[in-house]
Amino acid sequence: MIDVIRSEWIKVRTVRTHWVLVIIAVIFPTVVASLVGVFIPEPETGSANDIISLISGVAVFSVLLLASLWAINLTSEYSHNTIRVTYAAIPSRWKVLFAKAVVGTVATAIVMSVAFWVAFASGTQILSARGADMSLPDDHDLIGVYLALVGLAVIVSWFSLGLGAIIRNSPATVVVVLLWPLLLENLVTLALSLAGVDSVGKWMPYQQAIAAVSDVPDGGDVLGRPAAHLYFGAVALGLVVVGTVLDRRRDA
Amino acid sequence: MIEVTALTKRFGKHTAVDDLSFTVTPGRVTGFLGPNGSGKSTTMRCMVGLDHADNGSVLFSGRPYRALRRPIHEVGLLLDAGFVHPARSGRNHLRWLAASNGIPRARVEEVLGLVGLSDVGGRRVKNYSLGMKQRLGLAAALLGDPATVILDEPANGLDPEGIRWIRDMLRFLASEGRAVLVSSHQLSEMSLMAQDLVVIGRGHLIDQCTVDEFVRRNTTTRVRVRSPQVGEIARQVRAAGASVEYVGDSAVSDTVIVSGMAIVEIGELAAEAGAVLHELAELVESLEDAFLSVTAADQEYRSGGAS
Repeated sequence: MIDVIRSEWIKVRTVRTHWVLVIIAVIFPTVVASLVGVFIPEPETGSANDIISLISGVAVFSVLLLASLWAINLTSEYSHNTIRVTYAAIPSRWKVLFAKAVVGTVATAIVMSVAFWVAFASGTQILSARGADMSLPDDHDLIGVYLALVGLAVIVSWFSLGLGAIIRNSPATVVVVLLWPLLLENLVTLALSLAGVDSVGKWMPYQQAIAAVSDVPDGGDVLGRPAAHLYFGAVALGLVVVGTVLDRRRDA
Repeated sequence: MIEVTALTKRFGKHTAVDDLSFTVTPGRVTGFLGPNGSGKSTTMRCMVGLDHADNGSVLFSGRPYRALRRPIHEVGLLLDAGFVHPARSGRNHLRWLAASNGIPRARVEEVLGLVGLSDVGGRRVKNYSLGMKQRLGLAAALLGDPATVILDEPANGLDPEGIRWIRDMLRFLASEGRAVLVSSHQLSEMSLMAQDLVVIGRGHLIDQCTVDEFVRRNTTTRVRVRSPQVGEIARQVRAAGASVEYVGDSAVSDTVIVSGMAIVEIGELAAEAGAVLHELAELVESLEDAFLSVTAADQEYRSGGAS
């Protein structure tokens, strides 16, 4: 299994597009946090919680970029037919998808960690230089937001992998991965509410997990951080299982 | 040793491979021939489990492909030179493949050198010519130093030097005791490359034998005879049961083509008749002639007349 994971890691790091996506995912929250630090009026009123809140929203863009990366990483194997070379070298197909999931999990966690902490450091340093007090207040949620963000990014990487194994087409998979939270879940919520089913937004897994990054819920339509991530994680792993079963049955 | 037994693959109602059985023996290059759409590539994909066969079995040295723990060490495969990510370098393509089967990186450099791509190994594959991709594909097939090599159209896109190189390479691999199965549309090349043949049409086996035997079985021996006394020779030959066809107008021609009689017998007949021979030559038919004659009924796609 270690050989397969090493092989998948080489595949990921030897395509330039992947690095471009990683660099944008890392830089984007930092650029936004820095620009806010530079241009915010009355910087002395800013606090570390403002930067944490800002990153928790902005970094979702990085999550979606990484989701696209993992979708492309798998589906490009079908478009370039390297999946046939891969499966000829490793006939147990589940091992390939498992190795992709392991590489995706570790790499995503590292990239999101770098993106989060670099953005936080740059935003707070700039505001601090402009006279703001950047010491962490008692009610800060720095670690909670960080863990929720990394958790979301990892789960979305599984989500992309599962969808990629089912759809086997790069543009279609990326579109579904991106539009699922932005469009699909909203449409389902709207349709059900028109049909008289209320509070259904609570059960839209992708949106709940995104909301859980910044929100600490006290009931209502939000599941709450651990529950939202567990729920979305279960959905994502379900897709991976379905994708693995289908992939095993289909011709490569 | 490859043993294919009763292999069957259907796509919906279409049977692409139909109860196909053949063997590929070590130490020999076996050509895999068939018209377009005859099921060669499907057979090769089924052999290594990429396509799921509906029936039958394929054994590599007695074991199914899925049972091979590190298959690259046992079976080298080149299904299509285009099965490479264009944004990855040739060297990195081989590196991930090597890593998947626990093959050291040094072996990657060895096979790159073997196929003559050491200098361009760092270049991205999208900048490779088709011939370079074929060489990269062959390097991948040889990565694990396998006992069995399966190559689908390896000479496609190669220049004459490359074609000679691959022919010599395959013969060398076979001389080392490996079982080599190679498909190609270049029949003249196949006749130089392969010792054995598996010929299929519409998914079923037409013949399996040596190349020489296949040509002998599926062509008629013809002899060209030119003589001032060609009429006398023609009479003698016809009397002996062979058929004669004049080249040009029979009233004036001094040349005939004799079918169904060995060249030695014709020479002896001419001597007995006291005829002077200006030419007595066997017209050797090619693998292409034999192949076209055998697969005429199995051509899925046929071109129209040239006129």
